[in-house]
Amino acid sequence: MASKIFMGDMPELMENILNNLNDDTYELYQCALVSRHWCRISIPMIWQDPFKYFNQDAPFIPEYFSSLGEDEKFILKEHGINIESSKTLFDYARFLNNLDLHNLENNTKTWIESYMAYLKPYNGPLINHISNLLLKLFIESGATLHQLNIYSEFIKIKSEIFHSLEQNVQFFSRLQVLSFGTISGEISITLLKILTNHSTKISDLKLDGFYYEPQVTRGRIELYPNSQVFHELVRFIKSQEQLKKFTMSSTEFAEEFHGIVLALECQKQSLQEVIIEGCNYSTEFEILRKCENLKTLRLRYCNDESLLEVLDIKINTLEVMKTTIEASMLVLVFEKVSTSLQRLKLESRDTIIVEQSLLTDALMSFCPNITYLDIADIEFSTQFLDLISNLQKLQFLTLGYIEFIDVSDEDVSDEELVIQFAEILPSTLQYLDLRNSCLDSYIDIILNNCYAPLKKLIIHKLDDKKNAKAVIKFCKRKGTLNYVGVDNYWESSFNSLKMEGYVDRYVTMGPYEDIYVEC
Amino acid sequence: MDGYTSNNASENETITLKSSDGIEFHIDTRIANRYTLLNNWNSGGTYWFTAFKKSACLPNVTGKVLEKVLEWCEHHINDPLPNYDDDDSRRRNTVIDDWDQNFLNRVDQDMLFDIILAANYLDIKLLLDIGCKTVANMIKGKSPEELRSSFNIVNDFTPEEEEAIRREN
Repeated sequence: MASKIFMGDMPELMENILNNLNDDTYELYQCALVSRHWCRISIPMIWQDPFKYFNQDAPFIPEYFSSLGEDEKFILKEHGINIESSKTLFDYARFLNNLDLHNLENNTKTWIESYMAYLKPYNGPLINHISNLLLKLFIESGATLHQLNIYSEFIKIKSEIFHSLEQNVQFFSRLQVLSFGTISGEISITLLKILTNHSTKISDLKLDGFYYEPQVTRGRIELYPNSQVFHELVRFIKSQEQLKKFTMSSTEFAEEFHGIVLALECQKQSLQEVIIEGCNYSTEFEILRKCENLKTLRLRYCNDESLLEVLDIKINTLEVMKTTIEASMLVLVFEKVSTSLQRLKLESRDTIIVEQSLLTDALMSFCPNITYLDIADIEFSTQFLDLISNLQKLQFLTLGYIEFIDVSDEDVSDEELVIQFAEILPSTLQYLDLRNSCLDSYIDIILNNCYAPLKKLIIHKLDDKKNAKAVIKFCKRKGTLNYVGVDNYWESSFNSLKMEGYVDRYVTMGPYEDIYVEC
Repeated sequence: MDGYTSNNASENETITLKSSDGIEFHIDTRIANRYTLLNNWNSGGTYWFTAFKKSACLPNVTGKVLEKVLEWCEHHINDPLPNYDDDDSRRRNTVIDDWDQNFLNRVDQDMLFDIILAANYLDIKLLLDIGCKTVANMIKGKSPEELRSSFNIVNDFTPEEEEAIRREN
């Protein structure tokens, strides 16, 4: 007899199980065909985020049309869309959980081009019309959003949608993740007012660029930020009850919007993670010092070093991604965060890290508790090896681009250095990601000389028998490795190895995404 | 009949759990303290707790299942407590480690489901998560027919319903 979990008595457990299929639509579809109960649990999962991807032909869109009113169907007919759809088994619109306005538009466009191929490429008003019809349907179906991405330069949300949002407050009431991007000023203001009134439980807010109004100044058209959008954003942030993660991603004119950061004072108790992308320092960022529960700070493409000075907080996760990282500016940071730092990601985009010896010395002196190190653009030197061997709590190591220094500068060859690297990997290390490190040609040397009890290994590819043998030998010797993640999993060369059952007998292999852990 | 006794019972205070079939288990209070519901029993938070004796009766869990659940709890007694507020981190943490994998591989399917039900009832989130992930791994890659056969499920669709699901999805 089937377990009662599968018979309908414990739907929350069945949901928990199917949630572990990680939104794999194909797997969920197989489940939907098992029985009525499985179908009732799987179908809402399949339909919770249909606009997640840009779908070829977007064949799911007509399934929504059966729920449209007669007037709406008539209007579609006038536009040449004549779909005789009988009532569907489920009201699919009600299952919508995540909505990306940009993808809604794009999927609508591809569906129109597929339905009326003679119009292709189509950029006419029907895209906006159908997008608005679908939006209204979602709102009035009783759906409650969990995640919303408001980014679209073209969508013109009709006034009836705003009216419908005011009438159906459930649509925004459980919103937790909001990404707010470039959208016209007028729409932004109205949407933000509605969100402020009906959505106060956002835990993750991302401000991703802003719309700039064109204005004529001295005979030239120039772009200016809309101050009312700024005002409404501040009101919205202040209305939130539990903001935990805040991302600010700006481009030019960013300074005008730095005042938004001041509104975070209201969130100083709840805020745990802040991501700042492409911003320069301004005094408003000093507010971060007051966020006593802030544990994670990620600074991406912020070339103003002053931003690092706000760091006298005891964060445990730090990410710095810059065009050029100069180690000297990080030394003070490491001294400040000291033993609280557990996860560190450093990426210097254009050049290798400058004054690397300062960096390694500071990390060894001040930050012994690092468990995750993700580092790129470094010299592969004995000094770097010293750092790795000194991190005695290191469990996760991700190496990005590394540069072998000129052999004449060191007494050891590249190969000897790789052997030393493998030998000094700490006994705590369980996860090694070399996917982007250029160490692929040394995989066999690393595995043959590694004593660390690796459980997960990520590499770019495994397409020769030399490396495959090294993996097997390591499995036999250590008995710890349980997964090898490969970057180009579907590449035929790997598949041929896999089909022979060569490595598979000893370790699970698959796409690296299945085991990838973000710093 | 006495069941499982914690290794450290002599060194630490114990409480007694009684399964639905009357088997008593003396467990380290540190185990009770880690899990909310057990903890409530320990501090007298639920009606199963008897004021004069540190014991609790579990009407929904048999001795055989409780023994397995307590074996798992004992193994994880010194693990750092995960942050259950963070759904993402909870999902990440459900990557099954070797010991847990072996632990669940050693039980038959009925016991696996009973462990999941018990973990849910006792609010032992990590055990619940790895149990659910194990079942999800059993589901992956199977056709509807194979799933029905693996889990003894009867196809109760009408042909029209099945056709509609295929057409609409």
